[in-house]
Amino acid sequence: MSEAERVHAAQGLFAETAQGPRLLGSKCRTCSTPYFPRSESCHNPDCSQSDLEDAAFGPHGKLWSCAIQNYPPPPPVVYDEPFAPYAVGLVDMPEGLRVLGRILTDDPQAVEVGGEVELVIEPLATSGESAQQLVSWQFKPR
Amino acid sequence: MREVAVLGLGMHPWGKFPEKPLNNICRVAVEAALSDADLQWRDVQAVAAASSRFSGGKGWGLNGNDVVEDMGSTGVPVYNLSAGCAAGGNAFNIGCMLVASGCHDVVMVVGGEKMPKGFIQTSGLEDESDPEYLRQRCIGLPGPGFWALLTRRRMAEYGTTEEDLARIAVKAHEVGTHNENARFRQLFSIEDVLKSNMVSYPLRLYEICPVSDGAAAVILCSAEIARKKTTSPVTVAASAVATARFDDGIPRALACPIGSGSAHHSEAAIAVGRALETAAVGPKDIDLVELQDNTVYYELAFPEEWGLCEPGESESLMRAGETLPTGRLPINPSGGFLCFGEATTAQGLFQICEVGWQLRGAAAQRQVPNAKLGLAQSLGLGGNAAAAVLKR
Ligand SMILES: [Zn+2]
Repeated sequence: MSEAERVHAAQGLFAETAQGPRLLGSKCRTCSTPYFPRSESCHNPDCSQSDLEDAAFGPHGKLWSCAIQNYPPPPPVVYDEPFAPYAVGLVDMPEGLRVLGRILTDDPQAVEVGGEVELVIEPLATSGESAQQLVSWQFKPR
Repeated sequence: MREVAVLGLGMHPWGKFPEKPLNNICRVAVEAALSDADLQWRDVQAVAAASSRFSGGKGWGLNGNDVVEDMGSTGVPVYNLSAGCAAGGNAFNIGCMLVASGCHDVVMVVGGEKMPKGFIQTSGLEDESDPEYLRQRCIGLPGPGFWALLTRRRMAEYGTTEEDLARIAVKAHEVGTHNENARFRQLFSIEDVLKSNMVSYPLRLYEICPVSDGAAAVILCSAEIARKKTTSPVTVAASAVATARFDDGIPRALACPIGSGSAHHSEAAIAVGRALETAAVGPKDIDLVELQDNTVYYELAFPEEWGLCEPGESESLMRAGETLPTGRLPINPSGGFLCFGEATTAQGLFQICEVGWQLRGAAAQRQVPNAKLGLAQSLGLGGNAAAAVLKR
């Protein structure tokens, strides 16, 4: 089988940069609020002047919480067939961003609240003969 | 502003009624509320209705117009309120204002809905500009998974156990079994709940509310009219709506600023806080609360976030039976969403009905003894929330 083409699950949300995988967002120069995905304006009601610049977030994070998706969700969710429960997490990043993501692990039960994770850009499903692999940002326990 | 009385309460039972048109379901609730108020349809001077995304309303959320056409087009003004699952609560708020302001003396508030199968897909859009679509496409995190994240965090912070979570569902059915309007009235043991399918660890099927069909209606009127009909009417001590704060730590799309580090539904806390302030009562004065328990987690988190009890105290109160109708802090004596299921836009009004019946002392086996002050709270997509304090 030839190598599957990697297709981003959404455009402009994440990238492999020279420094490694990053989430692509924005940051307000005035109040330092981080945004993911990119934002055109600052939504902080206490901010005096919305002034957004592009910002890249990652790769470090800590699991504020985690859970397991135990049933196969309806489309457009992508997963390996046959379905196996996968872990999801809410990750606090040092840039001040709290972000949802899938957790890349073979052992969802072992994922713990407070655990250190690292941003990766990996396929959401690896099985099947499809010529395309849908890739997304995920967090890998360290 | 004038005092507002809650004169009529009416409900169509919650359930699944594939053969029954939404108009019929709403009509049952409306006629029950009118009869309860001892009023006729032509006495209704204005209608505030919850807009549904799922059923009726001519595809435009014109659910109040459907009701008016069905009952008889009298030319009354109709206000259709859209606020996700808080729409019933928001419509109640507008109904209260219409009476309090002196605009109208008798106002009908109504919400009715028939839900599609399965867990709620919040938007249904397939568009990269839609955050809900992105969340499913890039992560795969349906609603129950989000509740599971909040729950797991609480387990880590406070030592909540899976058995605690199951016990809340057991308690909900212990009271809901006495409610003829509830859909799920069977009793469960802790083992039954723990054996139900894991939906999103740590949450199981019986710990999450399914979708239902149902309708509820409320007649609001001036104190003057209420006095002609009853000697001790239930009145609205406060009604408030709110939207979320930007820094509450709850990611409503893919991410949010960490804020203070905690995560709480600020819209609910703000609405409840405003309602208590307007009613000039403290959280500890509340005799019972009907809160939005889409999942058992909220029965633990909300009372603490609103000051009804101390942070970390919910589990011990629940284990000690204090959240039963006979306890110190009765929560959801109706059986709550767990026993009703969610007919989203009607939820805020079934809560008003339950609180009203409790204050009248008409809740039979699920009665909170000597209830004088009750709180109802609903929460909806878009960071919407509503809260009301009723008194007698
Ligand atoms: Zn700013």
